[in-house]
Amino acid sequence: MASSGSELGGVFDHHVQRAVCDTRAKYREGRRPRAVRVYTINLESQYLLIQGVPAVGAMKELVERFALYGAIEQYNPLDEYPAEDFTEVYLIKFMNLQSARTAKRKMDEQSFFGGLLHVCYAPEFETVEETRKKLQERKAYISRTTKNKDHYMTKKKLVTELKDKKDFRQDFHSRTSGPCAATLNTSTGNSDLCLPYSCELPLCYFSSKCACSSGEHMGWASDSSRGGRNCAGTVEHCMHNDSSQKIQMKPFKNSLACPGAQKATTSSEAVDRFMPRTTQLQERKRRREDDRKVGTFLGTSTSSNEVMIGPLLPHIPKVDMHDDSLNTTANLIRNKLQEVRSFLETVLRGAWVAQWVKASAFSSSHRPGVLGL
Amino acid sequence: MAQKPKVDPHVGRLGYLQALVTEFQETESQDAKEQVLANLANFAYDPSNYPYLRQLQVLDLFLDSLSEENETLVEFAIGGLCNLCPDRANKEHILQTGGIPLIINCLSSPNEETVLSAVTTIMYLSSPGSGSPPELTAMPVVQCMLRFSLSANTRLRNLAQIFLEDFCSPSQVAEARTWQAHSALGIPLPRTEAPQQPRPRETSQP
Repeated sequence: MASSGSELGGVFDHHVQRAVCDTRAKYREGRRPRAVRVYTINLESQYLLIQGVPAVGAMKELVERFALYGAIEQYNPLDEYPAEDFTEVYLIKFMNLQSARTAKRKMDEQSFFGGLLHVCYAPEFETVEETRKKLQERKAYISRTTKNKDHYMTKKKLVTELKDKKDFRQDFHSRTSGPCAATLNTSTGNSDLCLPYSCELPLCYFSSKCACSSGEHMGWASDSSRGGRNCAGTVEHCMHNDSSQKIQMKPFKNSLACPGAQKATTSSEAVDRFMPRTTQLQERKRRREDDRKVGTFLGTSTSSNEVMIGPLLPHIPKVDMHDDSLNTTANLIRNKLQEVRSFLETVLRGAWVAQWVKASAFSSSHRPGVLGL
Repeated sequence: MAQKPKVDPHVGRLGYLQALVTEFQETESQDAKEQVLANLANFAYDPSNYPYLRQLQVLDLFLDSLSEENETLVEFAIGGLCNLCPDRANKEHILQTGGIPLIINCLSSPNEETVLSAVTTIMYLSSPGSGSPPELTAMPVVQCMLRFSLSANTRLRNLAQIFLEDFCSPSQVAEARTWQAHSALGIPLPRTEAPQQPRPRETSQP
């Protein structure tokens, strides 16, 4: 069908309202009767043509009605556009395409001052730059959406894959030596059971606690408490890296600094959280066996590649409650008590020293020799 | 715009798309084929459907439909491709399955929307500068775009201009201009075009 639309403001095929399709199969009938039409990015536009506006001087009301859907950049009547008797045609340019899409969807076939509006896109009014921008934004939108989906799907895929590869990991664990690999092993194993905390906490916070509790296993009693504070301090760092770790998935990475251990465990924890409980209990038993073997090498290998957080204090013997989650909870409580204890010690020591200095200063001026100085 | 189907929730999106594909392959009715293809092409607008569409090989269905006699089917198929080709995975699939010649053929369609969709698809399949498949900026294509850029049809003119500015090198455009003066092209403008420029003369090669 030849169109007389070569000049701007002429009638184009895409302006013409097509007949509604009434031969659709039942299963694919929509809620509203629609014509058979494909919408591409070429057809959509920030320019909307509105036909069938009753000629009652209601331009202001029309624009106000459309402005509900987004900011309007400009609007004008199209006086040369062929229109039915007593109706007018308007052109409205929205600031962005999405507003135009919404307005078109909502306002097409709507009643307005007694008439039925027919709203369609008018891409022929676009400049080259506007068309270019439209195409680029479409591409950017798709890249953005697909990237997010990819990230989400990779996460899910990771979980399933690692469940399958659990056996492989067990073999690997039995072969590794070194405290930090064991730290990783233990912490991954303990990841989801060691905490009474809610799941909303970031995973790396979980791992920081786990690394500390596993440090406990290793005999880094007060180190773990300091490690706890230090690890908590790196929570934000972990959170920032969280998304990338999930994709990288290197639980056996040999970056052995404490933050590094957290990073490496973060991704595998995502998996372990979904492992069946009985499997995890067995896993943890096995890892504890490995830890005990490895624990003997602490003194020699640690210094070479581990960042020491605090002095090595004697290992506090603990009661075994014959249940892993109880043991873990007990460890955490013990750590906390240790933390508080050492803090209080510091405070009290400091206070005592201050007191002593004060007293000695006082006594030396009045009663020399009382404190044995 | 995507249709809103009344679908059994158990069936889900994948099931619905599968039903569409099955109907397209089995039906004898041209109307039903057009409706289903339009439905699929509109689904191709939404990136959340891309995994399903790839799984159901709808991309191949679109490419195959480009060779149909029915112009409406071609229009809807190229529209569907235009909608989903900005996605990288879809783009690679189209390039690997030899879709380029089929899409370039659409440039000679008498249907305005088909040509517009074809031009846009070619742009999305190209990458600015080097790296895009060479057939997309081959001489016939560039010459075709040159003619489109002089068209009275604003939409076509805009798209062609963007193609020449962003996806062709100046030397390619200059060479195409030189050739255009001498050779017959055989890619007519779409039917809806008002003939404002001199028709290409059927001359022999110099």
